[in-house]
Amino acid sequence: MALNVSELLTALPQETDEITTPVVTGVPALLSRASYQPVPVGRIRRLTALGTLQAKIAAAYLFHWLRGWFKSSDDNQRLLAETHWRTALRVLDSMTYLRGAVMKIGQTLANFPDIAPVAFVDTLERLHFDAPPMHWSLLREMVHNELEDDPESRFASFDKQAFAAASLGQVHRARLFSGDEVAVKIQYPGIARSIEADFRNLFLFLLPARLSKDWDSTKDQFDDLRRRLELETDYELEAANLQKARALFHAADGIVVPRVFTQFSTGRILTMERLEGVHITQFMARNPSQEERNNIAKKIVRAWYRLMYSGRMLYVDFHPGNFLICDDGRLGVLDFGFIVPLDDTEWEWFRKIDRPLTTGLREDRLPILKAWSDIGDDETERLRLNDEYAEWSWLSRYRGGEFDFSNEAEFRRGINLFTEMVRRRYSRARPNTPTIARGQFAWWSILFQLKAKVDVRSIAEEEIKATGWDRSEYTPREVQEVQ
Amino acid sequence: MRITAEEKNATRRRILDAAVELFRTHGFDATTTRDIARAAEIATGTLFNYFDTKEAIIGQLASESFGKARLAFAKQELQAGLDEELFALVVAELRQLKLLRKFITPLLETVLCPLASARRPGMDHSLRVEHLELVVGIAKRHGITEISPVSIQMYWSIYIGVLAFWAEDQSPKQEDTLALLDQSLRMFAAWLLNSAGESQ
Ligand SMILES: Nc1ncnc2c1ncn2[C@@H]1O[C@H](COP(=O)(O)OP(=O)(O)OP(=O)(O)O)[C@@H](O)[C@H]1O
Repeated sequence: MALNVSELLTALPQETDEITTPVVTGVPALLSRASYQPVPVGRIRRLTALGTLQAKIAAAYLFHWLRGWFKSSDDNQRLLAETHWRTALRVLDSMTYLRGAVMKIGQTLANFPDIAPVAFVDTLERLHFDAPPMHWSLLREMVHNELEDDPESRFASFDKQAFAAASLGQVHRARLFSGDEVAVKIQYPGIARSIEADFRNLFLFLLPARLSKDWDSTKDQFDDLRRRLELETDYELEAANLQKARALFHAADGIVVPRVFTQFSTGRILTMERLEGVHITQFMARNPSQEERNNIAKKIVRAWYRLMYSGRMLYVDFHPGNFLICDDGRLGVLDFGFIVPLDDTEWEWFRKIDRPLTTGLREDRLPILKAWSDIGDDETERLRLNDEYAEWSWLSRYRGGEFDFSNEAEFRRGINLFTEMVRRRYSRARPNTPTIARGQFAWWSILFQLKAKVDVRSIAEEEIKATGWDRSEYTPREVQEVQ
Repeated sequence: MRITAEEKNATRRRILDAAVELFRTHGFDATTTRDIARAAEIATGTLFNYFDTKEAIIGQLASESFGKARLAFAKQELQAGLDEELFALVVAELRQLKLLRKFITPLLETVLCPLASARRPGMDHSLRVEHLELVVGIAKRHGITEISPVSIQMYWSIYIGVLAFWAEDQSPKQEDTLALLDQSLRMFAAWLLNSAGESQ
């Protein structure tokens, strides 16, 4: 099912006038919002050339995806769903900030090669790079407000043009008086508080859809997205995550998390050491050898396990823009806006599932999956699907040896399982589970894009050993069972 | 006894400084001209030789800040778009007016009010005129040689609207004002450039 962008855009539901009715119900909400937040009229105009196309594409993909969930419903239900979606899109069009959210969905979808061909990923990245929405005078004022002086005085140099777009702002090159080359990520003023309001409004419009049986799974996805955006608007939290993560890596790892310059960072501005390198898509465009690709993949896998086992931080934001392949060969891990911290309870679970999921034996997996996802004895279908998904996502880990991530059939099996899990809301039991499932899926999809061969198991074992976790009790049982 | 110009200026300064301090600690409404006179160590009657009303004191303070802002703006090098240049002008003013933020509303209701000229023809319009002259100059630099009275009135309404929003802005570091200013100036600039294009 290879779709191109124009096909998707035409697949978008047509706009009709009937939409006016639900809009009326939302007016009080919109008015209450207007009382403390300006309606961003000017921005919409400006975005027409750049952002809107991107947002539309992302929305089209999302729609396409959503429609898939309604495949099995009858025509009436599907029509109802489409009407609500159309309304929501209309509203969305008046909410600048939610465009950021839609772009995020676009990025998530970029991990689905099934519906997101390479062309889409490329378009997304290009658009991303071309749209600097804050002009210099606004930026200057933000820096002045946040860092108590003008950029000209606070920095030795500061590029007026953004070199990258962030979902909620933009990133500029600058140099500190200490000589450090930095990347300064700046948020559009007030955006953090607007997102909350935008979501509330969007939800009002989606509310009529709650009667459909797929509502809960839609809501899960939106909740996940909302949580993500809330966390990502908090640059102080991101700075703390970056610092914690950075301390976990050493020169020999060839993995680097950028250093944070706290005196130049606030809740709205994040100043980091600037890494020079290319994103995965650019890296792949150079036709790197199998070995080069494997090396990058190994580092990604190592970084993931290191963060998880030593840092108790689950890195789930695997979109290609979040990794930089540095000119000196190191892997740069960016974007710690969205991290799932593993608290004691969660960590206990991670310890508990580790062995049963790494033997590759169904009888080991089933009891722990039932406990983890709170699956009742009568829910055989749910158990089956959870088990298949767990088997798939831990496959490279339990098999050991070099695992070939370029195997498309295997990846597609995962897509189908993942989509099915989302659609049926089978991962709902624990609050983080949908996020974790998405993270596992995205992790695989990055390795698939790299067409890498990696011995995941040996890296995981090394990382676990380094934490001092004594797993000697595993060996005898495992050997016993394999015999 | 004759009072020299120098002494007069010094008294004026004392009144202004005392007023800012009192406005800041007690608020504009709770401060009386008598309080100001006492703090400036002059008789209440003497104060009226300098300023007719409390609003006039605010007006004078604001006028000084606007003056400083214009100097700062003139020093900036700008090769930006129309909306950005207008933005730079207004934020330069906001920076200088920061201390007066909470007391600016009376000015907006009087000398700066979009309706002021119709209502009170005798009023001092210099603040408005000076600002608008800069705006016309900026527009010229961006190829808009003639700016209609309607456009001017529209600009002024936006400008005063932003100042009024700012005076009450509860958001952290008044960041919402920046967003409002950015967005409304983009809208105004796009509209102005569009209508200039149409009339040619
Ligand atoms: N320290 C850095 N060094 C070099 N480039 C950086 C750095 N930080 C960010 N960038 C660039 O800016 C882009 C966006 O940064 P980041 O991912 O942190 O922002 P974001 O708001 O989380 O956006 P998104 O979620 O859309 O990726 C990155 O893809 C990268 O190109």
